[in-house]
Amino acid sequence: MSLEIQKAFNNERNVWDISLAGDVDIVSSVELKDNVNVLLDKDEKGLLINCEHLSYIDSTGLGVLISLLKRVKKSGNEIELTNAQPNISKLLKITGLDKIFVMK
Amino acid sequence: MNDKICLSIPTKSEYVSVARLTSSVIANNMGFDIEDIEDIKVAVGEACNNAVLHTEDYDHTFDLSFSAQSEKLIIEVKDSGKGFSLDKYEEPDLEHPKEHGLGIFIMKSLMDDLEIESQVGEGTFIRMIKYLNK
Repeated sequence: MSLEIQKAFNNERNVWDISLAGDVDIVSSVELKDNVNVLLDKDEKGLLINCEHLSYIDSTGLGVLISLLKRVKKSGNEIELTNAQPNISKLLKITGLDKIFVMK
Repeated sequence: MNDKICLSIPTKSEYVSVARLTSSVIANNMGFDIEDIEDIKVAVGEACNNAVLHTEDYDHTFDLSFSAQSEKLIIEVKDSGKGFSLDKYEEPDLEHPKEHGLGIFIMKSLMDDLEIESQVGEGTFIRMIKYLNK
Protein backbone atom coordinates (compact mmCIF):
# COMPACT_ATOMS: atom_id res chain seq x y z
CA MET A 1 0.00 0.00 0.00
CA SER A 2 1.30 3.46 -0.81
CA LEU A 3 1.58 6.32 1.64
CA GLU A 4 -0.88 9.19 1.95
CA ILE A 5 0.19 12.26 3.87
CA GLN A 6 -2.27 14.91 5.02
CA LYS A 7 -0.83 18.03 6.54
CA ALA A 8 -2.13 21.28 8.01
CA PHE A 9 -1.10 23.78 10.62
CA ASN A 10 -2.89 23.36 13.93
CA ASN A 11 -3.30 26.92 15.26
CA GLU A 12 -4.78 25.76 18.54
CA ARG A 13 -1.77 23.58 19.42
CA ASN A 14 0.78 25.62 17.42
CA VAL A 15 2.11 22.46 15.72
CA TRP A 16 2.08 20.84 12.31
CA ASP A 17 -0.74 18.30 12.11
CA ILE A 18 0.18 15.33 9.98
CA SER A 19 -1.93 12.26 9.25
CA LEU A 20 -0.34 9.19 7.73
CA ALA A 21 -2.23 6.45 5.92
CA GLY A 22 -0.69 3.33 4.40
CA ASP A 23 2.92 2.19 4.57
CA VAL A 24 6.09 4.08 5.49
CA ASP A 25 8.73 1.82 4.00
CA ILE A 26 11.91 1.83 1.93
CA VAL A 27 9.97 3.38 -0.99
CA SER A 28 7.91 6.02 0.80
CA SER A 29 10.12 7.06 3.74
CA VAL A 30 11.94 9.63 1.57
CA GLU A 31 8.58 11.12 0.59
CA LEU A 32 7.68 11.49 4.27
CA LYS A 33 11.02 13.08 5.08
CA ASP A 34 10.82 15.54 2.18
CA ASN A 35 7.21 16.52 2.90
CA VAL A 36 7.80 17.21 6.58
CA ASN A 37 11.08 19.04 5.99
CA VAL A 38 9.22 21.40 3.62
CA LEU A 39 6.79 22.18 6.47
CA LEU A 40 9.62 22.73 8.94
CA ASP A 41 11.41 24.98 6.43
CA LYS A 42 8.29 27.16 6.47
CA ASP A 43 7.94 27.14 10.25
CA GLU A 44 10.06 25.28 12.79
CA LYS A 45 7.33 23.86 15.01
CA GLY A 46 6.54 20.56 16.67
CA LEU A 47 4.78 17.70 14.90
CA LEU A 48 1.55 16.01 15.84
CA ILE A 49 1.49 12.81 13.78
CA ASN A 50 -1.76 10.87 13.67
CA CYS A 51 -0.91 7.22 13.02
CA GLU A 52 -4.47 5.86 13.11
CA HIS A 53 -4.36 4.75 9.47
CA LEU A 54 -0.66 3.93 9.37
CA SER A 55 -0.59 0.20 8.67
CA TYR A 56 3.15 -0.46 8.40
CA ILE A 57 6.47 1.16 9.22
CA ASP A 58 9.98 -0.27 8.83
CA SER A 59 13.46 0.77 9.98
CA THR A 60 13.81 3.28 7.14
CA GLY A 61 10.56 4.96 8.29
CA LEU A 62 11.67 4.90 11.92
CA GLY A 63 14.99 6.41 10.80
CA VAL A 64 13.09 9.30 9.19
CA LEU A 65 11.12 9.89 12.39
CA ILE A 66 14.39 9.94 14.38
CA SER A 67 15.96 12.46 11.99
CA LEU A 68 12.83 14.64 12.15
CA LEU A 69 12.89 14.46 15.95
CA LYS A 70 16.50 15.65 15.98
CA ARG A 71 15.47 18.62 13.84
CA VAL A 72 12.41 19.64 15.89
CA LYS A 73 14.33 19.24 19.17
CA LYS A 74 16.81 21.86 17.96
CA SER A 75 13.98 24.40 18.04
CA GLY A 76 12.80 23.11 21.43
CA ASN A 77 9.86 21.15 20.07
CA GLU A 78 8.60 17.56 20.20
CA ILE A 79 7.02 14.95 17.99
CA GLU A 80 3.78 13.51 19.33
CA LEU A 81 2.55 10.21 17.85
CA THR A 82 -1.13 9.47 18.34
CA ASN A 83 -3.46 6.50 17.74
CA ALA A 84 -0.71 4.06 16.72
CA GLN A 85 -2.00 0.58 15.86
CA PRO A 86 -0.73 -2.33 18.01
CA ASN A 87 1.80 -3.47 15.37
CA ILE A 88 3.28 0.05 15.14
CA SER A 89 3.31 0.46 18.95
CA LYS A 90 5.12 -2.87 19.28
CA LEU A 91 7.87 -1.76 16.90
CA LEU A 92 8.25 1.59 18.68
CA LYS A 93 8.48 -0.25 22.00
CA ILE A 94 11.10 -2.83 21.00
CA THR A 95 13.29 -0.14 19.47
CA GLY A 96 12.89 2.09 22.54
CA LEU A 97 11.48 4.89 20.41
CA ASP A 98 8.32 5.03 22.50
CA LYS A 99 10.49 6.74 25.11
CA ILE A 100 11.81 9.51 22.88
CA PHE A 101 8.55 10.41 21.16
CA VAL A 102 5.51 11.67 23.02
CA MET A 103 3.02 8.81 22.68
CA LYS A 104 -0.70 9.48 23.05
CA MET B 1 4.94 -30.58 5.61
CA ASN B 2 8.17 -29.41 4.04
CA ASP B 3 7.39 -27.00 1.24
CA LYS B 4 9.94 -24.62 -0.20
CA ILE B 5 9.11 -21.43 -2.07
CA CYS B 6 11.98 -19.65 -3.84
CA LEU B 7 11.89 -16.17 -5.33
CA SER B 8 14.46 -14.19 -7.24
CA ILE B 9 13.73 -10.50 -6.70
CA PRO B 10 15.23 -7.43 -8.40
CA THR B 11 17.29 -5.32 -5.99
CA LYS B 12 14.86 -2.44 -6.39
CA SER B 13 13.04 -0.98 -3.42
CA GLU B 14 9.63 -1.20 -5.08
CA TYR B 15 9.78 -5.03 -4.95
CA VAL B 16 10.28 -5.27 -1.19
CA SER B 17 6.52 -5.00 -0.70
CA VAL B 18 6.08 -8.07 -2.94
CA ALA B 19 8.33 -10.03 -0.57
CA ARG B 20 6.44 -8.74 2.47
CA LEU B 21 3.05 -9.66 1.07
CA THR B 22 4.28 -13.09 -0.01
CA SER B 23 5.59 -13.74 3.51
CA SER B 24 2.28 -12.83 5.11
CA VAL B 25 0.32 -15.14 2.77
CA ILE B 26 2.68 -18.07 3.48
CA ALA B 27 2.62 -17.44 7.25
CA ASN B 28 -1.17 -17.16 7.20
CA ASN B 29 -1.49 -20.45 5.27
CA MET B 30 0.74 -22.13 7.86
CA GLY B 31 -1.56 -21.07 10.68
CA PHE B 32 0.49 -18.34 12.38
CA ASP B 33 -1.59 -15.87 14.40
CA ILE B 34 -1.99 -12.24 13.36
CA GLU B 35 0.80 -10.94 15.62
CA ASP B 36 3.28 -13.54 14.36
CA ILE B 37 2.30 -12.85 10.74
CA GLU B 38 3.00 -9.15 11.33
CA ASP B 39 6.38 -9.98 12.95
CA ILE B 40 7.34 -12.18 9.99
CA LYS B 41 6.26 -9.52 7.50
CA VAL B 42 8.31 -6.82 9.23
CA ALA B 43 11.39 -9.08 9.56
CA VAL B 44 11.21 -10.10 5.88
CA GLY B 45 10.87 -6.42 4.94
CA GLU B 46 14.01 -5.60 6.94
CA ALA B 47 16.01 -8.47 5.42
CA CYS B 48 14.99 -7.41 1.91
CA ASN B 49 15.69 -3.73 2.69
CA ASN B 50 19.18 -4.84 3.67
CA ALA B 51 19.65 -6.67 0.34
CA VAL B 52 18.42 -3.68 -1.66
CA LEU B 53 20.34 -1.04 0.31
CA HIS B 54 23.62 -2.97 0.15
CA THR B 55 23.53 -3.70 -3.55
CA GLU B 56 24.81 -0.87 -5.68
CA ASP B 57 24.18 -2.54 -9.04
CA TYR B 58 20.60 -1.86 -10.03
CA ASP B 59 20.45 -4.85 -12.40
CA HIS B 60 21.08 -7.46 -9.71
CA THR B 61 18.62 -9.78 -8.03
CA PHE B 62 18.62 -11.31 -4.57
CA ASP B 63 17.25 -14.68 -3.48
CA LEU B 64 14.44 -15.10 -0.98
CA SER B 65 13.25 -18.51 0.14
CA PHE B 66 10.61 -19.77 2.54
CA SER B 67 10.74 -23.30 3.96
CA ALA B 68 7.32 -24.08 5.40
CA GLN B 69 7.71 -26.97 7.84
CA SER B 70 5.20 -28.48 10.23
CA GLU B 71 6.51 -26.62 13.29
CA LYS B 72 8.42 -23.67 11.83
CA LEU B 73 8.98 -21.25 8.98
CA ILE B 74 12.57 -20.77 7.81
CA ILE B 75 13.27 -17.67 5.74
CA GLU B 76 16.54 -17.11 3.91
CA VAL B 77 17.67 -13.96 2.09
CA LYS B 78 20.87 -14.01 0.09
CA ASP B 79 22.34 -11.10 -1.82
CA SER B 80 25.60 -10.58 -3.66
CA GLY B 81 25.89 -6.94 -2.67
CA LYS B 82 28.70 -5.16 -0.92
CA GLY B 83 28.19 -6.92 2.41
CA PHE B 84 29.36 -5.51 5.72
CA SER B 85 31.65 -6.37 8.59
CA LEU B 86 29.68 -8.02 11.37
CA ASP B 87 32.50 -7.16 13.77
CA LYS B 88 31.64 -3.51 13.32
CA TYR B 89 27.94 -4.03 13.97
CA GLU B 90 26.79 -2.41 17.19
CA GLU B 91 23.38 -2.89 18.70
CA PRO B 92 21.53 0.43 18.72
CA ASP B 93 21.76 2.55 21.84
CA LEU B 94 18.08 2.81 22.72
CA GLU B 95 18.73 5.92 24.81
CA HIS B 96 20.34 7.71 21.86
CA PRO B 97 18.83 6.24 18.69
CA LYS B 98 20.35 6.87 15.30
CA GLU B 99 18.69 7.00 11.90
CA HIS B 100 20.42 3.81 10.73
CA GLY B 101 21.17 0.37 12.12
CA LEU B 102 17.75 -0.60 13.44
CA GLY B 103 17.03 -3.31 10.84
CA ILE B 104 19.09 -6.15 12.32
CA PHE B 105 17.90 -5.30 15.81
CA ILE B 106 14.27 -5.45 14.66
CA MET B 107 14.75 -8.84 12.91
CA LYS B 108 16.44 -10.23 16.02
CA SER B 109 13.66 -8.98 18.26
CA LEU B 110 10.77 -10.28 16.17
CA MET B 111 12.06 -13.69 15.07
CA ASP B 112 12.88 -16.74 17.23
CA ASP B 113 16.25 -17.29 15.60
CA LEU B 114 18.47 -15.11 13.41
CA GLU B 115 21.79 -15.91 11.75
CA ILE B 116 23.72 -13.48 9.58
CA GLU B 117 26.78 -14.17 7.49
CA SER B 118 28.30 -11.24 5.66
CA GLN B 119 31.63 -10.41 4.12
CA VAL B 120 32.67 -7.12 2.62
CA GLY B 121 32.52 -7.45 -1.17
CA GLU B 122 30.87 -10.89 -1.02
CA GLY B 123 27.30 -10.20 0.00
CA THR B 124 25.07 -11.16 2.90
CA PHE B 125 23.12 -14.24 3.92
CA ILE B 126 20.33 -13.96 6.48
CA ARG B 127 18.49 -16.96 7.95
CA MET B 128 15.51 -16.42 10.23
CA ILE B 129 13.20 -18.88 11.94
CA LYS B 130 9.75 -18.43 13.43
CA TYR B 131 8.23 -21.36 15.31
CA LEU B 132 4.53 -22.11 15.29
CA ASN B 133 2.82 -22.04 18.70
CA LYS B 134 5.85 -20.69 20.54
